[in-house]
This record gives sequence, C-alpha cells and structure tokens, in this order.
Amino acid sequence: MIAHDEAQEIAALDAVGAASAEEERDLGEHLAACAECRRVRDEYAEAVTLLARGLTPVPPPAELRELVVSGEAADNVVDARRRFGSSKWWLATAATIFLALWGWRELTMRVEREKYATQEAEIRRLAEDNLRLSQNNEKLSAEMASLASAGTRTISLSGQQAAPSASARVFLEPERRRAIVFFYNLPANAKDKSYQLWIITAKPQSAGVFDVTGSGNATITIENLPVATEIKALAVTLEPRGGVAQPTNSNFFVMGSSSL
Amino acid sequence: MSASVDSSAALIPAVAQGDMAAFEAAYDRYSGTLYALLLRILGNAEDAQEVLQEAFVKVWTTARMFDAARGSEVAWLISIARSKGIDKLRSRKIRSDRENDAGREISIHSAFVDKTTGADVAILSQERIAVRNALAELPEAQRIALELAYFEGLSQSEISERLHEPLGTVKTRMQLGMKKLRERLQAFR
Repeated sequence: MIAHDEAQEIAALDAVGAASAEEERDLGEHLAACAECRRVRDEYAEAVTLLARGLTPVPPPAELRELVVSGEAADNVVDARRRFGSSKWWLATAATIFLALWGWRELTMRVEREKYATQEAEIRRLAEDNLRLSQNNEKLSAEMASLASAGTRTISLSGQQAAPSASARVFLEPERRRAIVFFYNLPANAKDKSYQLWIITAKPQSAGVFDVTGSGNATITIENLPVATEIKALAVTLEPRGGVAQPTNSNFFVMGSSSL
Repeated sequence: MSASVDSSAALIPAVAQGDMAAFEAAYDRYSGTLYALLLRILGNAEDAQEVLQEAFVKVWTTARMFDAARGSEVAWLISIARSKGIDKLRSRKIRSDRENDAGREISIHSAFVDKTTGADVAILSQERIAVRNALAELPEAQRIALELAYFEGLSQSEISERLHEPLGTVKTRMQLGMKKLRERLQAFR
C-alpha cells in the first residue's frame, strides 16, 4: 500500500479530476484504512471548488427555476432517460450488427493474413530447398567429374574386426589432391560419436568426420590431401562427436593400404 | 418545516428531509454559481441549462448523502454540477471543438481571476473577492494546469500535450497548486 505522502499527493490530483486510474485505485486502497488521509482528501475536494467559487455567478433563465422547483426538471430527466431507453434497442441492434460485421471483417482479414504468412513461409522453404538442391547438384557434378577423371586412382578399404562386413572405396585425384570416399555397411554411430577418417602418413591426419545412419552408407569429399605418394594407408575409427586431433583408439572399422 | 433563507444557514440537511422551501432557497442561493460553472465547462447555454436541471434533480434525490463533516454544502453542490458538466462534455465530444478555443478560454479566465477592482466589487460578495484574490495568488502555470483539469476534464497527459510541458512538470504544478488552494481554504471555512 502507498505511503501517506504519496496518498495525499494523489488526493490533490484526484480532487481536480486528474489522477490516473491506477493512482485512483492506489488512493482508494489507502483511504480505506487511513482516516487522516481521508480528511486531507476531503479538504482537497473542498479546496478545488474555489476554482468555481471564483466565477462570477450567472443567473439562469427564470423559467428554469420553475422547471426545477416544480419537479418538471425531474420529469424531464426521467423523460429524457425514458426516451434514451426506448431508443436503446435500436442502438443495441445497430451496435450488435456493427460488431458482427466488424468481427466478421476482422476474422476474414486475420484468416487471409495467416494464409499469406503460411504461403510466404512455404515460398521461403522452397527457395531454401532449391538452393540446397542446386548446391548438391554442383557437388555431385564435381564428384562425377572427379570419378571420371583419367588420373583418378582407387583405393579399397576393407572391414575390420569392429565391422567385418563394412567396406569403403576411395576415388583419389592426386593432381588435385582431392578424394571422394564411399563407405558401405558401417554400423550406425551413436549420437555422441562420429566416425573419423584418418590418412596415415608419418602419423595419422584427420581427413574428416561423418555420420552413418540406418543405411550404413556414407560419402565424404576430402580436399587438400597430402601428396599421394606420402599416403600409406587410410582407416576409420569411432571417436567423440566432432572428431579429435589424433585417434583415441586403434579399433578400426575399415582400413586399407595405399599402393600409390 | 421551512428552511431559513439566511445566506449562512445550511439548506441541504433540510432538503434531505423533503423541505421544498429549502430546496427553492438552495436553488436561489447556488444556481448562479453552478450555472456559471456549467457555462464555463460546456461553453453553451443550452447544455448548461440542461445539466443544471439534472444537477438539481440529483441534489433533491441525494441530499441525504450530504455529510457536513466532510465539506461545505456549496462544495457538495459544485462537485455534483462539475461532475455532470464534465460527463456531458465528454459524452457530446465537445472537447475537440473546444480545444481550438483553448488559448482563448484560458486567457478569458485568467482575466477574470485577476484581483478584483472597480465596478466588479459592487457585484461580488466579499467571499468571492477573497476567493479570486486567493486564486490570483497562484502562479499562472499552476492555475492554468488546474483549470484545464477542472473545467475541461483533461487528464495529466492531455494537459502535458496541450501545454507542451513534460508530464512530471504538469503533475507537480497541479499538486503544488492544490496544496496552495488547500492552505487558502482555511479562510473560507
């Protein structure tokens, strides 16, 4: 609850009709439990009427007095309210129709806006798919060109104890120091693991990491290979996800020697 | 029972008892002030007369709610009339029309709350002169902010926009102005 000082400051504004709704609420809560601030509020309410009491009185028309003191004014007010009441159903009907039309229009616009947003999202998704397919197409074209190159050499990797039925085939372009490797029948790796291909030269160098899903197959492209004659062998291990700098184990899944 | 028309006698308690003479006396005593107030708020006689009737109907029907311990009867009547006037102002959306004339109205009002001199004295009661002098002692910026709220029913933010002053400044001016009015009030009780 607000303090007395704050309550009295709000009471000053409230008296002149300038307190906000929130201030009025806070003031009401305070006044309910504070007789002293209620007294101050009453004084402010009295004080603000000085603004009106400074006006020069203007006698209203004489006939108005008769209306008021004879009770006709009350009748007029009642009649006015009755007239308003009798016209209320028109207002209510008009308001209902207006609200219904407005609501229908808003609903229609909202549906159209949602439809438009959905279509826009679909267009964006298709554009992204198109871009991805174009990139795949370029990649496949490059791989096809690599495979068809006259200088391409092939290295076969065979399954080891960890995956006897697995195999891999390496298509290597020595001149471009690039290779494409196709893996077959490897077991699917766990989510926290990655397969990692090693090129064995003087010591193992990582040639990339890859995942294998249910099909057991995977393909990777290797760029910037070591000079072909330095490649002694290629092997695959299972490592922590994302790969490591050096193999953490010698449990090879596929492995093969280079005869280049 | 018939109420005294002595200008110092309280009338509303008698009105609360259904005393028609007291009601007529209250009308005679206060209608000029209330009508001036309603003219000030509404800006036209037709609306002011309509609301004045409604205000006195309310006085008649709610007189028993008047509590002399909380304030004077003139303040109670003014509060009723002002409330109804502002309701009318808002309901008829007169405000937008009046905004165009705001500067003029402020200057008009500022002129008539200046300290009273000369011929005015003859038509003003001693209390009114004292009230005007008290109002004239308010700094103009405070008085204008209070008048915009009281006579035009403007909110703090509307006054801030109208005067091109920060909201906090407007709020402070109104609070200071009200404190001064409250201090002056003691002389009229």
